Amino acid sequence: MSRPLLAVSGLTKRYRRGGKSIAAVDDVSFDIEPGETLALAGPSGSGKSTIARLLLRLIESDAGRIEFEGGDFLSLSGAALRARRARLQMVFQDPLAAFNPRATVARVLDDPLRIHGIATRSERPRRIAALLDRVGLSADLAGRAIHEISGGQRQRIAIARAIATKPSLIVLDEAVSALDVSVRRQILQLLLDLQREERIAYLFISHDLGVISAIAHRVVILDAGRVAESGNARAVIGAPQSTIGKALVTAAPKLNRTSTQGAADRQ
Amino acid sequence: MNPLRRFLRAPEAIAGAIILVALFAIALSASLFFPGDPQAIAGPALLPPFQDWSLPLGTDRLGRDVLAELFHGARTSLVVGLAAAAAAIAVGAIVGTLAGFTGGLVDEVLMRITDAFQTVPSFLLALAFVSVVGPSLGVVVAAIALGAWTGPARVARAEVLSIRERDFVAGARVIGMHPLEIAFREVLPNALPPVLALSSVIVAAAILTEAALSFLGLGDPNRMTWGGMIAEGRAVLRAAPFLSIIPGVALVLTVLGVYLAGEGVVETTAVRRSLS
Ligand SMILES: Nc1ncnc2c1ncn2[C@@H]1O[C@H](COP(=O)(O)OP(=O)(O)OP(=O)(O)O)[C@@H](O)[C@H]1O
Ligand SMILES: [Mg+2]
Repeated sequence: MSRPLLAVSGLTKRYRRGGKSIAAVDDVSFDIEPGETLALAGPSGSGKSTIARLLLRLIESDAGRIEFEGGDFLSLSGAALRARRARLQMVFQDPLAAFNPRATVARVLDDPLRIHGIATRSERPRRIAALLDRVGLSADLAGRAIHEISGGQRQRIAIARAIATKPSLIVLDEAVSALDVSVRRQILQLLLDLQREERIAYLFISHDLGVISAIAHRVVILDAGRVAESGNARAVIGAPQSTIGKALVTAAPKLNRTSTQGAADRQ
Repeated sequence: MNPLRRFLRAPEAIAGAIILVALFAIALSASLFFPGDPQAIAGPALLPPFQDWSLPLGTDRLGRDVLAELFHGARTSLVVGLAAAAAAIAVGAIVGTLAGFTGGLVDEVLMRITDAFQTVPSFLLALAFVSVVGPSLGVVVAAIALGAWTGPARVARAEVLSIRERDFVAGARVIGMHPLEIAFREVLPNALPPVLALSSVIVAAAILTEAALSFLGLGDPNRMTWGGMIAEGRAVLRAAPFLSIIPGVALVLTVLGVYLAGEGVVETTAVRRSLS
């Protein structure tokens, strides 16, 4: 049996609210295989974003282990952690808030290449153009300010930035939720293409079960910080066992079976 | 409406801008119109204004040209005011950013130091500093900045505290950016507008402090200053009140001009919204 790309076990994060501590993430465990998409679903406040932030080491956990690419990810700090970050990237929900409001497209893509020494200064403009091309954008966009491009273009830039360092795992926290339907479909297609060609794994956080069954192989359903159920995405969404899973499926707008050929079929 | 048009609709802002432009013109043309040493004797002592058109504002106790003194004094006021404010804002922004972004013990220590500086009246601080180190232009600038950086530091810290929670800062960490680069390249530039909004008040206060130091004889002895002129005129206040009145009026107009123009800019660019 091969080792998983990411192995999370017993992950716990408590927040203090009004004197007593509440577990936003409570003893959560899951694995992600190389090149796999694991979806994280659950109602608002169930701890999805908190898990994303814990994985990215944006906040520190209270308990649990995170093994990434065979190493203890939680024991890293300082320069070692910064170097490792090249392999574990994130795409945020609001692409406008995710970039420095003063930045240009070129600078946003230049930063990861420079920080991780991926290309020399003279090579970087060419690498930036290649990244833009990779996500289906024109190289002319490089000179634009981040606020001068559309929301869909911005999310493509966010994806370009995430793949700049050749990561093995990208965490996408509601990365397509703010986009309108046609743009969303294009971005999902881009993600699927990138996964097929570069074997990138995704942790795909979403409350949209339709999108999840279109893109994810497996799904973990959270409820109040705990794992309610998990398994094959189509199987779980087709016949949820937990109360929260049933509630989510009932609440979801009817799933269009034809436009959401399950990712399980692609395996 | 664009900010320039809005600026031009506020009469007090226009008045301030006109005064500032005049002040800059005077300061920049000082060595053009009065190339010699303004401290040199130019005519008979205590010549009243408007008597001799080669010395339009008359002469002081030692027979020096008052208009030349005024022009060169404008230069000192402006240089010291701008340099001290720039230094204060730079130091304040750096301290505030480090405190707000790092948090914890660093924040605690830096803010206690800020408190300490804020408790001492800034003029006393400047006075003590110049008395100990000795008067020169650089020391006067440093002395004034010493009492003026705490305001910018507080505003910068407050702004940084809110900016550091934003997604783009998390994004910078995710790509592995060094914390110092995040603090100074990502966060600080976005925290600057409300800090810069303080500059008119700081420049105005710095010009006044410089004048007060010079009045007490603690200005750079090699430079002409308005404060020094007022002090000079005081000895002959009854016989030649114009010697104190002329630089006094210049000082008041300058401070007013800086303040009005600065407020106009702040108002029209609406950076005020981030100030509470
Ligand atoms: N900094 C914090 N301080 C206190 N409580 C927090 C903090 N961050 C999150 N929480 C709490 O932790 C719980 C999980 O929040 P989280 O943002 O992970 O939910 P989510 O599943 O991403 O929700 P959504 O679908 O609305 O984005 C919530 O109850 C939230 O109020
Ligand atoms: Mg969330």
